[in-house]
Amino acid sequence: MDRRHFIGHSAAALGLLAGFSGHARANLQKAEILVIGGGYGGATAAKYLRLFSNNTAKVTLIEPNPTFISCPLSNLVVGGSRTLADLTSSYDNLSKRHGIKIIKDSVASIDADKKTVKLASGKTLRYDKVVVSPGITLMMNSIEGLAQANKDGVTLQAWKAGPETVALHKQMAAMRDGGTFAISIPEAPYRCPPGPYERACQVANYLKQNKPKSKVLILDANQDVTSKGALFKKVWAEQYPGMIEYLPKHNVTAVDAKTKTIKLEIQDDVKADVLNLLPAMSAGEIAVKTGLANSNGRWVNVNFINFESTAQKDIYVLGDSIQVANAMPKSGHMANQHAKVAAAAIVAELSGWEVNPAPVLTNTCYSFVNDREVVHVASVHQYIAAEKTFKPVPGSGGVSPAPSTLEGVYAWGWAHNIWADSLG
Amino acid sequence: MLAKYLKRAILAALYIGFSHWSSTAIAQNAEASNLYKRGLAATCANCHGTDGKGVVDGGMPLINNLTSEQMLTQLKAFKSGAREGTIMPQLAKGYSDEQLVTIANQLGKK
Repeated sequence: MDRRHFIGHSAAALGLLAGFSGHARANLQKAEILVIGGGYGGATAAKYLRLFSNNTAKVTLIEPNPTFISCPLSNLVVGGSRTLADLTSSYDNLSKRHGIKIIKDSVASIDADKKTVKLASGKTLRYDKVVVSPGITLMMNSIEGLAQANKDGVTLQAWKAGPETVALHKQMAAMRDGGTFAISIPEAPYRCPPGPYERACQVANYLKQNKPKSKVLILDANQDVTSKGALFKKVWAEQYPGMIEYLPKHNVTAVDAKTKTIKLEIQDDVKADVLNLLPAMSAGEIAVKTGLANSNGRWVNVNFINFESTAQKDIYVLGDSIQVANAMPKSGHMANQHAKVAAAAIVAELSGWEVNPAPVLTNTCYSFVNDREVVHVASVHQYIAAEKTFKPVPGSGGVSPAPSTLEGVYAWGWAHNIWADSLG
Repeated sequence: MLAKYLKRAILAALYIGFSHWSSTAIAQNAEASNLYKRGLAATCANCHGTDGKGVVDGGMPLINNLTSEQMLTQLKAFKSGAREGTIMPQLAKGYSDEQLVTIANQLGKK
């Protein structure tokens, strides 16, 4: 190498060294980051991508709904003690306060090779990183006749809060006194483990006051109550004696809409007046369509340190769509926590830093057993590097000793704060 | 003569470059470490508000009136069982003592 070349190389090396940090920072500022889905996971991811990048990352949120409606607490709308308006928040703060571009549209497809997202309206967007937080798909075909019964309005799921939640309340309110409200639960995992049992309480709370001869029938495909079991059973016995009938190991296979008959895998047919049949669930449709659901074709495997899909690089999947770690529930609170770990990881990666080697998640879930009293379940999950997964910390977490009105106040406190944390 | 001068200049330039790089690396580590701390404190935000600024009159006890020292004392009391509560005694037990210090430092009143 001659002298001139040596000098040239050295200067280049110097420039490279001096410019290293600036270059990494430029990557963060230049990157196109898309977030698909504005639920508890996606909205939080969009906001925290901005917060953790000190408002330098370019973030676009794609969400078809005009407002955010909370699934947690929506059983109170089924029961009639609250309205959807109580659970609705605007997306405006994400754009006004946090500088997030919001596109009101849904995603038709993701091309992971070209790194593009095609919107339903036909427009194509390029991405460097994309966060996919599409919630769940109700697998209507897992119960024969359910898709048609639902189209005809005979059965309702109301497992995504919205107009169906109100419609289910109306069906219950129109039911004759002495009628049966049947709710069926698929095998776990499904969205919101305690949700169906809370709903049974809310329906019973309404019936007790308005149609006291009526019954709530819980047909559970699982071996036993999947969350807060002892607490729910005590409430059913003490607050709703003779009104709630719980049948475990009752797997619904078909429904006859004309005769309102539910067919079970093992037991005899059951008739009911209101049919709230929850089918098996899978990752949100866009995740399945993109080939991300590499766990039984239903859930998305992710690297838990950053929530990147194990199927595709630069696609991060959050919330109910993922194949969960041990004792990790599919909840709104958990989706919010996933989002913060993923947002921090994306900011670190685009800045050229190591991703946090020890992220932490918490979960808190409140269930209303009537319109005032609440029970909770809580947990803390630490990342175990050697096993590349999250595990609940032994000795931590737990449930309420009994329902209380104090926790009823905290439940609304939780709601107001998590809505502000995700969207405010 | 010229060769000697150039060699020194190059060495000096490389030295400056290296020290700049290492100080940049340290700055990056500090920034990364700060991000990890913010991430840890954000595990509290669902119930107590973004950056510990909870919704006033929202129903959840506010924590942003506590200094870091006061907050750490309460967190330790929840963890040990000295202070009773609903969820906090259960959650505090899930964090290491070091993590509780970080949380208190991040969220305490400045």
